[in-house]
Amino acid sequence: MLDVLGFEFFRNALIAGVLASIACGIIGTYVVVRRMVSVSGGISHAAFGGIGLGYFLGIDPLLGAAGFTVAAALGVGTLQLRARQQMDTLIGAVWAAGMAIGILFVYLTPGFAPDLFSYLFGNILLVPRGDILLMGILTAVIVAVVAVLYRELQAVTFDPDYAAVMNLPVERLSLLLLVLIALTVVMLIRVVGIILVIALLTLPAAISRLYTARVWTMMLLAVVLGIIFTVAGIALSYVIDVPSGATIVLVSTLAYAGALGAERLREGRGSESAAAASVRR
Amino acid sequence: MTAPVIEVDDVWVRLRGRTILEAVSLAIHSGEFYAIIGPNGGGKTTLLRVILGLLAPCRGEVRIGGSTDPAMRKDLGYVPQFRSFDFDYPITVREMVLSGRLGRIARRPRRYGAEDRARTEEALDTMGIADLADRQIRNLSGGEQQRAIIARALVGDPKALLLDEPTVYVDAPTETQFYEILDGLRDRMAIILVTHDIGVLPGHVTRVACLNRRLYTHDTDEITPDMIEAAYRCPVDLIAHGVPHRVLPEHSREE
Repeated sequence: MLDVLGFEFFRNALIAGVLASIACGIIGTYVVVRRMVSVSGGISHAAFGGIGLGYFLGIDPLLGAAGFTVAAALGVGTLQLRARQQMDTLIGAVWAAGMAIGILFVYLTPGFAPDLFSYLFGNILLVPRGDILLMGILTAVIVAVVAVLYRELQAVTFDPDYAAVMNLPVERLSLLLLVLIALTVVMLIRVVGIILVIALLTLPAAISRLYTARVWTMMLLAVVLGIIFTVAGIALSYVIDVPSGATIVLVSTLAYAGALGAERLREGRGSESAAAASVRR
Repeated sequence: MTAPVIEVDDVWVRLRGRTILEAVSLAIHSGEFYAIIGPNGGGKTTLLRVILGLLAPCRGEVRIGGSTDPAMRKDLGYVPQFRSFDFDYPITVREMVLSGRLGRIARRPRRYGAEDRARTEEALDTMGIADLADRQIRNLSGGEQQRAIIARALVGDPKALLLDEPTVYVDAPTETQFYEILDGLRDRMAIILVTHDIGVLPGHVTRVACLNRRLYTHDTDEITPDMIEAAYRCPVDLIAHGVPHRVLPEHSREE
């Protein structure tokens, strides 16, 4: 199995997995603590519109996806802040409209759309070297922005009203966070695909949340978990010869279920001993 | 004469066709403990949100330290209604209190300095939660959480502390303790407290007003029966909340 590391495509896959895990662990932490899972789902599905546009214009579909997701993030964010629209309806609309636009553009593009399937379900084993570079740059940008604005982002995601009273630019910081989510989604498309993005974005952070008391420790553990899940998923998919994106997501989901189960057992035992103690008293 | 810490000048708020605040004016000076009582839905939280600049009034203005500049909000400490934010958020008590300093930090990007950390320890001590500083906020009792929220408001050196129904989830002994702490803060800042529960008003209050769309004031620390009547009786549907039935006879008997 180890001799597979000699292949460039496999090394690229591992590098892509690690980079995606770093971005996911950091941004996914905000998504989970701020309860933005459905917003992220909407933004990631809107990306399909960008993929379709990319095909139609003959540019790199990921470039189209980047433009589309950032626009969707800013649009949804502005509407949420200004118009106080019903958020779940809005997300549903963006979600479906993005997919619909993608389908139309792919239909209108003459000829056959190559590897359309890999954008939907991911294929980390086919990540070209140029995309690795792009992912590296995006990860660096995300890490740098969060490192610089860590305190501000914490205040805004914890208690936006109080942040506003302290004269923090709440609106700009909220939109910035949505843009970072959009960029992370674009990175993840290569790894697990549009449909499965939401799992890798949220599951490592959700597990990490069970064991951490601070935002930055939650990010760190989420990054480590993400790396474990992607590497394990890639290895497993290689060994049993099944699609990598789906395997990564299933590995993550199983780990999440296991963590929740362990937590239930621990809490159950805790309350039992508390009950026993009160009986003794 | 120095400008009042907070001045609300003829503020009107209309939301979704309903008038929430009507011609509300008030001035709060330093050293005052101003209690605003009124039925649920009477506009108390709305008035606080207008003062805090979280909601723009459709008429009138709010001046903090004599100025309408939103940057003046750094002089306000705010204790929101309990459970108004997510207590599962991964943040320790110390981090949460420290975050109350962000409004005082001039450099960008904001970084905490030695002064910020020292003030945080001070606020933790004042509220008696120094030993809980490294705990995650969800692992505190209700009373401890409430004290952590007040510590966050104190750490920014506010000239006025605004509290929204601060005792709703706090039990009676903690409540007494809570008002003693507030009384101890009075020489440093003005305190504005809003509550629907007249029964809880502590003895240290220097001024009381009743709010039910309009503000009914009386420049003393007494609640007069006609204030209560004006605030609670006018809109018939609000009587159904039951508060006046419990409170009004009590106060009549006192007099």
